[in-house]
Amino acid sequence: MIKLSPKLSQKLSYSILFLATILAIVPVVVIIFTIIKNGASAITWDFLTSMPKDGMRTGGILPAVLGTFSIVTCAISITLPIGVFAAIYLNEYTRNNLLTRIIKLAIVNLAGVPSVVYGLFGLGIFVMFLKLGVSVIAGALTLSIMELPVIITTARGALNSVPYSFREASLSLGVSRWQTIRHIVLPNALPGILTGTILSIARISGETAPILFTASVFYVPHLPHSIFDQVMTLPYHLYIVSTQIPNMPKKIIFGTALVLLIMVLTISFMAIIARIYFRKHRKW
Amino acid sequence: MVDKIKVENLSCCYNKKCVLDSLNINVIQNEILSIIGPANSGKTTFLRTLNRMNDLDVTYLRKGEVYLDNDNIFNMNMENLRKRVGMLFAMPIPLPMSIYENIIYAPKRLGLILKKSEQDAIVEQALRDASLWNEVKDRLDSSAMKMSGGQQQRLCIARILAINPEVILFDEPCSGLDPISTAKVEESMIELKQKYTIVLVTNNVKQASRVGDRTAFFLMGNLIEIDKTDKLFISPKERQTEDYITGRFG
Ligand SMILES: Nc1ncnc2c1ncn2[C@@H]1O[C@H](COP(=O)(O)OP(=O)(O)OP(=O)(O)O)[C@@H](O)[C@H]1O
Ligand SMILES: [Mg+2]
Repeated sequence: MIKLSPKLSQKLSYSILFLATILAIVPVVVIIFTIIKNGASAITWDFLTSMPKDGMRTGGILPAVLGTFSIVTCAISITLPIGVFAAIYLNEYTRNNLLTRIIKLAIVNLAGVPSVVYGLFGLGIFVMFLKLGVSVIAGALTLSIMELPVIITTARGALNSVPYSFREASLSLGVSRWQTIRHIVLPNALPGILTGTILSIARISGETAPILFTASVFYVPHLPHSIFDQVMTLPYHLYIVSTQIPNMPKKIIFGTALVLLIMVLTISFMAIIARIYFRKHRKW
Repeated sequence: MVDKIKVENLSCCYNKKCVLDSLNINVIQNEILSIIGPANSGKTTFLRTLNRMNDLDVTYLRKGEVYLDNDNIFNMNMENLRKRVGMLFAMPIPLPMSIYENIIYAPKRLGLILKKSEQDAIVEQALRDASLWNEVKDRLDSSAMKMSGGQQQRLCIARILAINPEVILFDEPCSGLDPISTAKVEESMIELKQKYTIVLVTNNVKQASRVGDRTAFFLMGNLIEIDKTDKLFISPKERQTEDYITGRFG
């Protein structure tokens, strides 16, 4: 083995680390730059607020924006309460035996199942078996099942971050277990749960596979009326305009991508702001 | 002299390792019973059994009975028991809220406060009884986490007083405090025994001799000796007690 002088090896390792960082950042920057450069001119008030026209080649993307918005809203309102209650049950009520350890491990691993599997599962269960059809609700249920393990895991982390001594202090005063959770544990875990939820919203907004077979369609000539409607969605619309329609103006493709990108980045950015805010105002 | 608490043949184990061995001891109404003994002799385990805080620990197992006013505490509703037997931990644990809210937290949850107008009176009384009122009366709305250690410990005392218990368990309440804060906590303990029965676990032999009416000496999970404090300190019956209080132990 060659022996390097400390100074040289220091320099070498620094360069390698620097190079790795650059490699990680450059593609992201290039992608974002390309999308902005080609798409920025497409984004007008009209583009955001009108129906697609002329076989999607002109007009706007309003139905896709609204479709994504309604699916994500439904999904998060289903998955958040269930996830938080499950996390409370697993963390605060179960004893740490083999069965609960297996359940906890299973939940962590469920988060790694490919999203297309959830998509096919949703198609089988919600669309066909429960006869919900291709609809907002079927897509939302599929997304919420996909996101449930993530929500449970973040909520458990947030609950665990509340010091155990707070629970003991409250219980030692004769306050019941549920009241302790309701008035001490949950309020102090809320910042973590909220930040995790915002990140989940960002994540599922961009998901395509789970809603591909369960909620999204090529084109709907009207805006969504009810949760049983099939809808257009941003990620799927992007796929369609980029690959399925000949002679598509580049502007529209990149404009759609840019809207999706801004949406997801804004939501993630909100999570960062929330985290900074809560860190500043944390009470212990 | 009425027995407030009677402990019969109490044995406690964690993971089959027994740390208290057939303990028989009583606590008399309105006394301060000090418990002294070297580390790991089971003092905290004993205290945490008295208000069943140890029931939260899955590895914990117990045999024997404890009576509070002749009622078996292991047949009682846990919340009721803890309302009657309050506990102060070694480290002060203020809840992450204001001083005011810390005190009304438990009374509110337990349904002891029905009208909002009663709250101010309860807070003031509890803080006065814990000799903290004069120091904090102008900043009741500031966070309890920002108080000094000694103030936090007295706040925790006030919090217990606000639920009006019958017995208060103190687990080394002054271990993290300076001499002046310690003197204040001791002062309020002596004040409190008019109304409450107190069990004080302490690592500080001098503290036991200052505030205890009776003193018990624990060693390796056994009660070696219990007697009037003066008697135990002046003429202990057991050799081990003498060694411990004169600092010749080990
Ligand atoms: N939760 C627990 N799980 C397992 N073992 C424990 C637990 N709590 C205490 N023990 C063990 O029980 C024994 C007695 O502990 P305990 O805390 O009652 O002693 P102590 O007299 O209060 O000591 P100290 O003066 O250090 O506070 C020790 O050997 C300790 O390791
Ligand atoms: Mg102890």
